[in-house]
Amino acid sequence: MKIIQISFFLLAFSLTTFAQGFKVETSGEKTFNFTDKGKRNQASFFSTTPLEDITGLTNDINGKVSFNVNDIKSLKGELSVSTASIKTGIDLRDEHLRDADWLDAAKYPNIKFTITEVKDVKRLADNRLQIKFSGDFTLKGVTKKITGEATLTYLVESEQTKQRAPGDLLGVQAKFKVNLFDFGVKNKVIGQKVAEVVEVSVNMVGSSAI
Amino acid sequence: MNKNQKILFLFSLLAILGIIIYWFMQGAEIFTKTKVLIDQTSELDKMLGVKNEVWVDKFILGLDYSAVAIVIILILTIILNNLLKNKQKES
Repeated sequence: MKIIQISFFLLAFSLTTFAQGFKVETSGEKTFNFTDKGKRNQASFFSTTPLEDITGLTNDINGKVSFNVNDIKSLKGELSVSTASIKTGIDLRDEHLRDADWLDAAKYPNIKFTITEVKDVKRLADNRLQIKFSGDFTLKGVTKKITGEATLTYLVESEQTKQRAPGDLLGVQAKFKVNLFDFGVKNKVIGQKVAEVVEVSVNMVGSSAI
Repeated sequence: MNKNQKILFLFSLLAILGIIIYWFMQGAEIFTKTKVLIDQTSELDKMLGVKNEVWVDKFILGLDYSAVAIVIILILTIILNNLLKNKQKES
């Protein structure tokens, strides 16, 4: 009986001490959809070399994440962007980017990221968390484990949030680095102008009602 | 060098200087751009901790197009200068 009591106490202690999540007026399992008809969600890459700085940006993000509002470490999900939708500000360069030598958009139409782990949770506010995440990043048919940092902001549905989308909203600002060489991107013509390691930034808002 | 040749060289010089100044004022980019990123972050975006940038059509002259324009001006100047030189000989 004593063992059961101690086990129950330890379980309750671990749940209250180690489960870190949002302190908002809602709880339980939630799923957020990041497919935005208004195309306001965006993923971008930034490359800096002595020759020039390049920013590539796409608004074509799709995917969902699910987690328990009170335990962000339970977060799992998959996101993808359309390879052909990445724009760099120069039409000719965009064509090169889609070429077989580079991202090969015809053969690999999507770039995917599957979130597998969330750790090092830090509460910045009741509705804002800073996390470190890791997952499987698939680019040009090659999948590698990638880690990054993100800030998550939870807004419970209100008249203001309805301007963007119905339901509760989850704002995500994430950053991680990608070594293009690891994914078989080594075009000699463009490669000299693009850094081997690019920084990927994601700014997106998901809705629990879509 | 006759008067017309002097005017030709002056115009060529001004055109080349104009291109260089315009290129410099546009940010002295190496490659010509047809779109630029504009920040459209709203109050709600700030509350959600995200930023929102969009591509907007805008022509930014780069060193590549500037160099081509300068080379074309130099070629035209050489051709016109030869024509004006020949006219002077004929007269």
